[in-house]
This record gives sequence, C-alpha cells and structure tokens, in this order.
Amino acid sequence: MSAHIIIIDDDRNIRLLYEHELSCEGYQVATASSAAEAIEKASAEPFNLAILDIEMPDMSGLELLGKLRELRPNMPVILNSAYSTYKSDFKSWLADAYVVKSSDIEPLKQTVKEMLSNYGS
Amino acid sequence: MSNYDLAPLTDPTNQVLWESLNSAGIGLALVDGNASLTVSNESAATWLGIPGGIHTSATPISAIEPLKSGGLIDKLRAMISNDPGEDTPPCRFHTRSVDGTPLCATARLTSKAPHAGRQLLIMLMREPVREISEPPALSGPEELQILSSVASALSSSNDLDYILKTILTGATASQGLGFNRAFLFLYDNPTNSLSGYLAVGPSSPEEAGRIWGNLEANRVSLSELLSGQPDDTQVQSGSTQGMVASINIDLNPDSLIAKACTQKTWLNLEALDTVDSVTKEFSSRIGTQKLALVPLVSKGNLMGLLAADNLITGRPICDDAVQLLQVFADQAAVAMERAGLYEEQKERTREVEKINTLLAESQEHIIKIEKMSVIGELTASIAHELRNPLTIIGGFANLMLKSTTIDEQKEYLNIIAGETRRAESVLNHVLDFSKASRNESTRIDFSRLVEKNLALLIGRLRCPAELMRLLAAQSEIWVYGNYDQISHAVYQFLRLVAEEIIPPGKAEITTEVIQERAVMTVRLIVDNEHRDGTIKALRQIFTDNKTSQRLTVLVAGEAVRFHGGNFGLSIGNDRLPSLFVELPLAKEADHVGTHYNN
Repeated sequence: MSAHIIIIDDDRNIRLLYEHELSCEGYQVATASSAAEAIEKASAEPFNLAILDIEMPDMSGLELLGKLRELRPNMPVILNSAYSTYKSDFKSWLADAYVVKSSDIEPLKQTVKEMLSNYGS
Repeated sequence: MSNYDLAPLTDPTNQVLWESLNSAGIGLALVDGNASLTVSNESAATWLGIPGGIHTSATPISAIEPLKSGGLIDKLRAMISNDPGEDTPPCRFHTRSVDGTPLCATARLTSKAPHAGRQLLIMLMREPVREISEPPALSGPEELQILSSVASALSSSNDLDYILKTILTGATASQGLGFNRAFLFLYDNPTNSLSGYLAVGPSSPEEAGRIWGNLEANRVSLSELLSGQPDDTQVQSGSTQGMVASINIDLNPDSLIAKACTQKTWLNLEALDTVDSVTKEFSSRIGTQKLALVPLVSKGNLMGLLAADNLITGRPICDDAVQLLQVFADQAAVAMERAGLYEEQKERTREVEKINTLLAESQEHIIKIEKMSVIGELTASIAHELRNPLTIIGGFANLMLKSTTIDEQKEYLNIIAGETRRAESVLNHVLDFSKASRNESTRIDFSRLVEKNLALLIGRLRCPAELMRLLAAQSEIWVYGNYDQISHAVYQFLRLVAEEIIPPGKAEITTEVIQERAVMTVRLIVDNEHRDGTIKALRQIFTDNKTSQRLTVLVAGEAVRFHGGNFGLSIGNDRLPSLFVELPLAKEADHVGTHYNN
C-alpha cells in the first residue's frame, strides 16, 4: 500500500506540481489550500506524511505544525518554504525536515523518501 | 671730554671753570686711589649728597647713596685698581641724585692731576629728558572717567592679549593712571609662581622721550587710545618686555610679594633696605627701588600681579594712586577671568562641534547601515516571493521534460529549466548578501580574510592550489566592516577570475597596503594565445549588463563600495590583466570587536 501524503500550500500551482511529481513516485497525494482545510482533512484520515508551507493566509505554517502534532503526533512533517530564515525559528524544530522551495524537486522527493523510510509507510 | 688736562682743581683761576660748570648744570667730582671722593663742584655735591662743596673731606664712594645702585661702586673700584696708566674708555652709567633727579654720568681715569696722581673723574649731567611737570592729582570725576574708559575697553573683548595690553596701557598712559612703566605677571597655580608676561614703558629716559613724544604728537582720549591699541613700538620697549619675560617669582617662600598675593592686598614699596630677598631680587631685576604692586584677584582667585613704577620721572607713588591701581586691577582680573572662561567655552564648543560632526557622520553611517539593512530585508522578501513562481516554472518544465518526446519541446523545456536555475542562483546571491547585511561591523584581518576565501574557493571548485596562489600577504592589514559582506565580495571576485582562467594560466593574489588602503590584487598569468580573450571576457563581465555574472559583480561591488572601497580591472605594463579590490584601513577608533578569522 502506497504512502498517503498531504500537501498543504496556499499556492495552487505548487500543489499541482507537487501532486504530479509525487504521484509519479507512486504516492497517494491529497492537498489542502489552507490551515483549516488541512486540519479538517488530517482529522478525517491518517496521513503518512505532510508537506507544509509556512506562509499561509489563515494561519502560520508553524502554528499549524503545532496543531498537526497534537492531531497526528506520529506523522512526519516536512516544512517546505521559500524562506530559509525559518530554519532558525525554534518552532520549526517541531518539523522532521526543512526543505527550501526550488524548481529542482529532487531534494524534496528524496526527503519524502527518507522520512517515510524512517517512520514506516 | 677726551684727553683733558685738569689743572689743579684747587687753583683759584679754575674757580671760574668750576662755576661755569655749575651754571651749565654739570657736576664734577674726583675720586682718589683709595676710592674716596675728594673734590666736587657744587652741582656734584648737591646731587651726590656730599657735604663740604668743592673741598670735601674724603668720602668713601661706598657711602655715596646715588652710586650704590647697579653694582656701580664695584665697577668704579675695579677701574681704580686695574688702572692701566693711560686714558681709558669712560664708564657711562645712569643714576639718580639724592633728590631723585635722573642723572647720566661718565667716569674716567684722568690723564694727570698734579700732586694727586691718577684720579677717577666723574662727570654728572641731568638726563636729557623733557621736563615733565608733576601732573595735578586726579579728581574724583577724573578717576571715575579713567575707570569707566578702561572698564568699557575691557568689556569690549574676550581676547586675553587685548585685555592684558589694555590693562597696561591704562596704567601707563598719561590720560590714564600715568605710571612710567607697568609690568604684568600671570599666576601659575601648579607651581605657585608668577611669570612675567607683558611690560609697557620705556627702559631709559631717551626711550621715554621718543615714546612719549610719539604719543604726545598723536594725542587722543584714553578711550580712543584703548580702542585703537596703538602700535606696540609706540608704547612698548623691547628691552623692558625682554626683561620682564625672564622674571619668575616663586611665591612659596615667605616674601612681601607672596603676602600681597595670598592676602590679596596692594603694596607701595618705597625702600627696599629691609625687605626680604625675593622682593629685593625682583625689584633689582626690574631696576627700580620704588614700585606699586597690586594683585589681580577675581572671585578670591589670584590671577596675577600688576607692578608699576615711575622710574623715568621719579615721581613718588602715593597710596591713593596704588589704591586706584588696585581698583583698576580688580576690573582687569574679572576681564581676565571672563576671557579665560570664554577661551574654555570656545574650546568646549570646538570639542562639541567635533563630537557633533562625528555624531552626524556616525548617524549617517548608521542610517546607511539601516538603509542597507532595510534594503536587505526588502530584498530578502522580494527574493523569497520570487521563489514560488520560479519553483513552479522550473518544476513544471522539468515535469514536462520527463513526459515529452518531441525534441524541439525538450529543447525549449530545457531552456526554461536552465534559466529558472539561473534565476534561482541570482536569488541565492541576493539572499546571501541580505543575510550578511544583518551582522555587525568589526575589525577584520584583510589578508586572512582573502586567504580563507581563497582556500574555500579552491575547495569548492576542486581545482589545484597552483591555479590560484596567494603570492604575498602583508600581515596586520586591518579593515573595518561587515565580515560576511566583505567576505562574500572577495569570494565572488575570486570566483569570477577563477572561472576565466584557462590552463595552464594561473592567478597570483597579493594583499598589501597602498596609500592607506588595503588592496587585494589578483593578477592573471596568461599565455599570449589566451591573453586577449581573457582580457575581453573580464572586461565584459565588469561592463556588460547582459552577462550572467553581472549581478554577481553588482552585489559584490556594492558590498565593497558600501565599505568605502573600490574595485576594478587593470591591464599592467606586461599586458596581463589584474583585478583589484581596495578598502580603507581601519581607523584607531574602529574597535568594535575584532574578527580574527580563526
């Protein structure tokens, strides 16, 4: 059974891109465009991994990270942001990995693979 | 008189001669080999205070009051005892008669005098000075007028020298207090002593005639005189000034002068026989027996001492005159203190202005840094906002590349992906720089910074160390600035050059101080075949807006310029290109932390 991944990003094209890329890798991919939607979906079903953008309109990704931790403590979370500065924010330490956005998706895909391998799919 | 053959002075026929000399106001006296005055005419007898007139019992010259000053007796005795037996040049001297008349005298060993052997002839005459009639005593209103004029002059300026000259001019001008000479001594607190500073007045009757004649010819009111501050040569005597400048009075030993200064009271010295040695020495240095001394005191603090005398005219100094001089001195002391405070204030103002300038420069610098910081923040925000679109464009291009089989489409998608990566690289540059902008400035060892970045570059490019070699690095080249920014700039410039090196070419790097600037020079050693191409490529990088390295040059260059430095490309006499980066040396005041490049 393939891993179930949720992509949380307010940018539609990023969601589309990641969905395509990760689907090609054989994962089942769900998406959420806001923190509220992400919480709703994560409450409804268990995901094996979340890819989380930080800059979102309704709630900061770091805050959402906290809520996801409460909801799904065993779910690995990859913070994926255009901003590298959040690496120094202690709240980001709650995440399992931090990948800066790039047109080269390979590092992200590699990190997904490692996370799923570490935590079991 | 020369070669005079004196007939016996007791010869009656010479009475006529003697009487004539009396009438002419010439005194004549003879001193024998025992240094005793034996004969004198009436004029000489009167002036010298000798009883007996023409024929006198021998009076030792040491007992003759007018001969006692200035070591004259010793001189005369020496003339007698060292008599060479022939006519000698005269000894000229000035003295005063017992009644204070200024006299000029000539002493000469006579060629012959019958029955008396060689004798010393002293001829006395009144000093050729203009008759100065005793001025009438000042009335109350006149005193007030003088004080008012002086006070007005003193309050018109904060210049200390002007104030001091006004004091002395007011004391000596005939329109003022009318003393012949005045001397000013300034108090030095640390050594508790008075140092001669300024003097006004003639040193001799001849000089007095000249000076006072000039002043009389251009007679003006006291106010006009004080405001005009006549030419120094009109009122000052070079020798008087020279004399007072060499006088230093120690107030530590107990003396009349010290007492006057510590008790802040005036002194009217009339005779110095019984005074202490310090006061006596002082009077002797000035050359007067009678003088007025008034301390200059402001708010209980001793500022100096004003001395005044009537050496030339011999006019007695009365207590009233000294009291008036004291009032005068009190005004002067206040003016001096005010001048001192004014100078202090001026100095403080200069200091404050200097600090203000530094502050303004620092503020400017801080604003510049803040601007850079804000720009850094803004740049970072923009860069991050650009990341998302670039991720999407490049990401989809890569995605499509995987699925397309059409070569043309593949080519286009590759271009899109490639340009996206280039744009992301630019973003990384900009974000690196903006991150560096947030750090503080420190003192930086420039040579070590270059060395470190060179090692980093060689490591990243995995090129042989010989490709870029640090040929010479002068030690202790300190610059001041943001370490990350300067490091970034140096690294980028080194990288630009490294990319243009075509083996077997290489680069030699030096760091040195040239004209107070820290300079890094990267000299490319290129063979003839590749030289022109390398030069062209480097010129394009530094001048062409369209090259991919242009932003690198801009960002790195901006970091250098921000720190007051400069960079550029030069072609040496050997036609080899060199890149230089220069920065100002750290100043002594730049000591906010030091980066040791460990």
